Amino acid sequence: MFPEIISPQILALIGQATLDTLQMVAVAAGLGTVLGLPLGVFLATSKRGELFAAQLVNTLLGTLVNATRSTPFIILVVAIIPFTRLIAGTSIGTNAAIVPLTVAATPFIARLIEGAIREVDQGLVEAARSMGATPLQIVRKVLVPEALPAIALGLTLAIVSLIGFSAMVGAVGGGGLGDLGIRYGYQRFMPEVMAAVVAVLIVLVQTVQTIGDHLARRLNKRLRHA
Amino acid sequence: MNAPVKPDAFRVGTGPVPDPNPPIIRFEQVGKTYAGRGAQGPVAALSGIDLDVPQGAIVGVIGRSGAGKSTLIRLVNGLERATSGRLLIDGEDVTGLTEAGWRARRRATGMIFQHFNLLSSRTVFDNVALPLEIAGTPKPQIEQRIARLLDLVGLADKRERYPAELSGGQKQRVGIARALASEPKVLLCDEATSALDPETTKSILALLKQVNRDLGITILLITHEIPVIKEICDRVAVIEGGRIVEEGETFSVLTDPQHPTTARFVEAVTGVEVPAYLAGQIHTQAREGDQAVLRITFTGENSTAPVISRLSSTIGIDVNILAGRIDAIAGRPFGSLLVSVPSQQPKLAAVLGALNSLELKAEVIGHVS
Repeated sequence: MFPEIISPQILALIGQATLDTLQMVAVAAGLGTVLGLPLGVFLATSKRGELFAAQLVNTLLGTLVNATRSTPFIILVVAIIPFTRLIAGTSIGTNAAIVPLTVAATPFIARLIEGAIREVDQGLVEAARSMGATPLQIVRKVLVPEALPAIALGLTLAIVSLIGFSAMVGAVGGGGLGDLGIRYGYQRFMPEVMAAVVAVLIVLVQTVQTIGDHLARRLNKRLRHA
Repeated sequence: MNAPVKPDAFRVGTGPVPDPNPPIIRFEQVGKTYAGRGAQGPVAALSGIDLDVPQGAIVGVIGRSGAGKSTLIRLVNGLERATSGRLLIDGEDVTGLTEAGWRARRRATGMIFQHFNLLSSRTVFDNVALPLEIAGTPKPQIEQRIARLLDLVGLADKRERYPAELSGGQKQRVGIARALASEPKVLLCDEATSALDPETTKSILALLKQVNRDLGITILLITHEIPVIKEICDRVAVIEGGRIVEEGETFSVLTDPQHPTTARFVEAVTGVEVPAYLAGQIHTQAREGDQAVLRITFTGENSTAPVISRLSSTIGIDVNILAGRIDAIAGRPFGSLLVSVPSQQPKLAAVLGALNSLELKAEVIGHVS
């Protein structure tokens, strides 16, 4: 059906845009996880009386995370352009878009991981302490492995959100599916391109969600596998 | 069990005698106060705790929730710190130990929990391996030791299963194997059977007893269930409001409780309640043709004597058994019996006299028509 109304050239554009989107999302999600995991673990373990009790640092980081998360993404993108230039050398294109995406993803992922870690039964922490585990061993051997199913679901949610965000960076010249939809679908009045972009996005989100759900179920040993 | 230290008659000089068999855990006037938040002032969880846990013994601490028993057991592995007094473990004063010092000690102390606290993401084998991984034990050694432990707790066939696939009793067996992995001298049991049904409780208690007897591991347990004390403890301490109100050998504490709290705990297991249908009819003054209701408590050697038939044959009365229970406490028989005999004198006095001569405790609860 598509080939009849969409020219091969447009099809190639859609293919390239999909790859761009995947690249942006993958890199931003990867970096966001690398940065967000320790941040989330720290947020979950540094309140008064916890493993790495540092109430002041916890409050400071928590406020920073909230500030980033409460800034609308499109404003964040524009606001940190100087920072983006510093890192990527430019503020236009797929590579540049990865910077604001990562900045937005990190606190989001950190909060998701904090939530997942806080769900781990405190009795397990006590058991590990009773074996003489150091705080770091407790994180590595107890908290993260036990929170893994919830972390997998959280990361799925983060990736789905990032797919949406990545379309938004298209509005400021970020490349990818959003950019294509805006330039061709909207500015050149090609509704079939817009429809194709939306269709691809739906497939992407659906696929990510399915894989994420499956992974979380596989990781969750609390369910009986009959 | 420890023999009480006898005063040394042949001793000369005044220096302190070295205790030939010192307790492995000794609390000396230990207190724990939590700094209060806001308007609520500091809260004393424990005060003036004196308790000895003899090497190789099973010592139970019983109390209701909030009595301070959780805090008490956590002092022994430093999960809680005493705020006053002294705590000696294996002769060493651990009161001022740093966190790093405690970590090293904890590796030599096992602990099991009411809700097992097994990692859901690890198999049985990997759960038992956790303390050894934490201590940095080499892999081949871990493998060898765990195989032995799983045999001991009877779960060799479950090593690749996850906790979610096990029953409560099996989970606690994994907990015990895990606690023993670091070859501790002391095993702390935090309400270890409170989440289990009576049948499973029995099997877990039997396993603990076996661990104590065969591996020589000292066990300190806390519980709110008197059957646990009755079944395996050599000594018992009763805790109430953060203080130990009674302490001693299990048999004597349970059969002759001195403190009302102890008496209430004991009642459920050793005492015999007056059946409901009788309770309403009991009056204090004997009338013509009444029957006296007696509670007879059997302890020690006469608990197995044929008391009832002896009463019938020697005094020539009919003894009517209303309720009764004969049980074993710390491996010794103990029972109590509710009977009715004619209230009319002098037969009643003769019955009481006969029971007294057998050194049985008998009390008249009242009379029924």
